[in-house]
Amino acid sequence: MAASAPLARGGEAASPPPRGPGSALQRWFRNGSFIRWIGLGGALIPTLMLGFILVVLVVKAWPAILINGWGFFTKSAWHTGAQYGTSVHSHGITYLSGQSYGAVPQIVGTLETSAIALIIAVPVSIGAALVVVERLPKRLASVIGMFLELLAGIPSVVIGLWGVLTFGPFIANYIAPALSHIPIPFFQGDVGHGEGLLVSGLVLAVMVIPIIASTARDLIRQVPILPREGAVALGMSDAETARKVTLPWVGSGLVGAVVLGLGRALGETIAVAMVCGVALGQVATNLYAAMITIAANIVQNLDTVITDQLGVRTYAELALVLLVITLVTNVVARLMVRRVSGTALPVGRGL
Amino acid sequence: MSIQADPADPRSGQVPPATALQADAAGFGGTPSANGASSLSVVDLTLSFGPRAILSNLQLKVAEGRVTALLGPTGSGKTTLLRTFNRMNDKVTGYRHQGDVLLDGRSIWHSGIELMSLRRKVGMLFQRPNPFPMSIMDNVVAGVKAAKMAPRNQLRDIAERRLRDVGLFDAVSGRLKDSPFRLSGGQQQLLCLARALAVDPDVLLLDEPTSSLDPMATEAIEELVRTLVPKITVVIVTHNLAQARRVSDSTVFLNKGRLVEHGDTKQLFENPAEEETARYVSGRFG
Ligand SMILES: Nc1ncnc2c1ncn2[C@@H]1O[C@H](COP(=O)(O)OP(=O)(O)OP(=O)(O)O)[C@@H](O)[C@H]1O
Ligand SMILES: [Mg+2]
Repeated sequence: MAASAPLARGGEAASPPPRGPGSALQRWFRNGSFIRWIGLGGALIPTLMLGFILVVLVVKAWPAILINGWGFFTKSAWHTGAQYGTSVHSHGITYLSGQSYGAVPQIVGTLETSAIALIIAVPVSIGAALVVVERLPKRLASVIGMFLELLAGIPSVVIGLWGVLTFGPFIANYIAPALSHIPIPFFQGDVGHGEGLLVSGLVLAVMVIPIIASTARDLIRQVPILPREGAVALGMSDAETARKVTLPWVGSGLVGAVVLGLGRALGETIAVAMVCGVALGQVATNLYAAMITIAANIVQNLDTVITDQLGVRTYAELALVLLVITLVTNVVARLMVRRVSGTALPVGRGL
Repeated sequence: MSIQADPADPRSGQVPPATALQADAAGFGGTPSANGASSLSVVDLTLSFGPRAILSNLQLKVAEGRVTALLGPTGSGKTTLLRTFNRMNDKVTGYRHQGDVLLDGRSIWHSGIELMSLRRKVGMLFQRPNPFPMSIMDNVVAGVKAAKMAPRNQLRDIAERRLRDVGLFDAVSGRLKDSPFRLSGGQQQLLCLARALAVDPDVLLLDEPTSSLDPMATEAIEELVRTLVPKITVVIVTHNLAQARRVSDSTVFLNKGRLVEHGDTKQLFENPAEEETARYVSGRFG
């Protein structure tokens, strides 16, 4: 008893500690502070890393942010400057007088391709997840689930190659001609040969579908049977049951799945670089035009500007813009979830 | 042998018995029938999941406009029988049935029956409350909306009326737009009852509706059940013998998938014809 006295906290001297006396370190492990510290570290590290990346990008991009100014977000031209032009020195860096950068086409291209990808991928993935969970026999469902996960793991360069060799030409030959009959100006024009906005968006859709579908499948599997049966017993069709009960039940999780897919689409680099047609400096005028995204531009051209002080910093600025777009879409999605789940979703489920 | 006792495959689309045609005229198709409560008869029903027969050669007439209690030990097939009435078993793997169930004289498996409207006509309340993930008001009118039974601008009135019917309106009037999951279990079950009533069913199936509720909420549900008749035919499964005595007009005792006895509740409890029933209702079963 005497030996254990130091362990006991004030007022509890009478109750013996669970185990014998120990060093401070042992106590630290035993009373749970260890776990708490690990938890705290685990929570802090991602935050710190995100902050660190943001700071580094801002510092690196700072001269470009000042030199490019608002024009970066309003202009389309991408002038890398004449090789032997006069050089200018300002904001601590030296660059050519002809250099001027407008990122509008890349920002628009990034948003457009991601939008196309989600417009296709969200209904397809959620529909597929519903069918897999509710319609298919268990064994077939698990096989398909396995393939979905495999698909999610295919390296993007492989998908890009497939896009260039097979998928792009297929779209140009069969899908685009049909779409070009739609009487909307943006859908009309020369359908090209399998590179450009539409193919990029669709390639992204192919990459995003397995991500959203496999997450959605896991979510839908967790919806309890009772509310679903309640809907069926009320004379609701399978589609109504899915729309009114099953999907809203996991609504916030589904938004998360879509955000995950969107993150992939916004940031996907090499596959898009392979099928976008690489057109800097101009916003696509129709669905089939060559274009470029921020990520594709960075991977395509970073090596050409590595000794160009303003160029490198402009690419850092581009990366910063991409990061901000990703963060903003994330936050918006989370706000959406809060609005959706405000009244409708079960409480006490950690949503 | 009556016409109904030996039907061919009930799904083969044979000519329905004469009574069915009258039921048709009363508007079986979709609109709620004008004359309210429907009768149910089970004709020589044998039902199995896979190789195992769950219900065997069941004969039963559920009187219209009355409360019928289904009693029986666990696993005796009460839930299975109840879920047959609104065809919720149809999709269970290995499900097969012989014999028939007639709703107002017409087979529920008849090819002219639209499944969705059958389920609106034969409503169900489950063992545990199962609100949908939508506001309290949307919950009440979910079935009405799905079936487009009323224009949008009437939905609020319908919701209010049904919530009043189940005595829940005063408790929730200020939060119709809130989540139903914040209500107590008993309130949630009342909400589900309001939801089932909102589509004007002619039959209401209750599967141990109070088994997750406290005595007060149980009493509220029981009182409500009594107010439903004679406008609605009620079938209630319960393990609570006292509850069966309180709420039902007639009682059915099932054991191992067979119907042991069916009779007037008072008579079945006080003077059962079968030894098995006597043992069960006196709590000496097994
Ligand atoms: N989906 C199913 N597949 C296979 N067997 C089933 C299925 N549902 C029920 N059964 C079996 O049918 C029998 C009757 O079950 P049922 O649920 O109808 O009993 P119950 O009388 O409602 O019992 P309880 O009082 O415990 O609710 C049980 O033996 C059960 O195992
Ligand atoms: Mg049961």
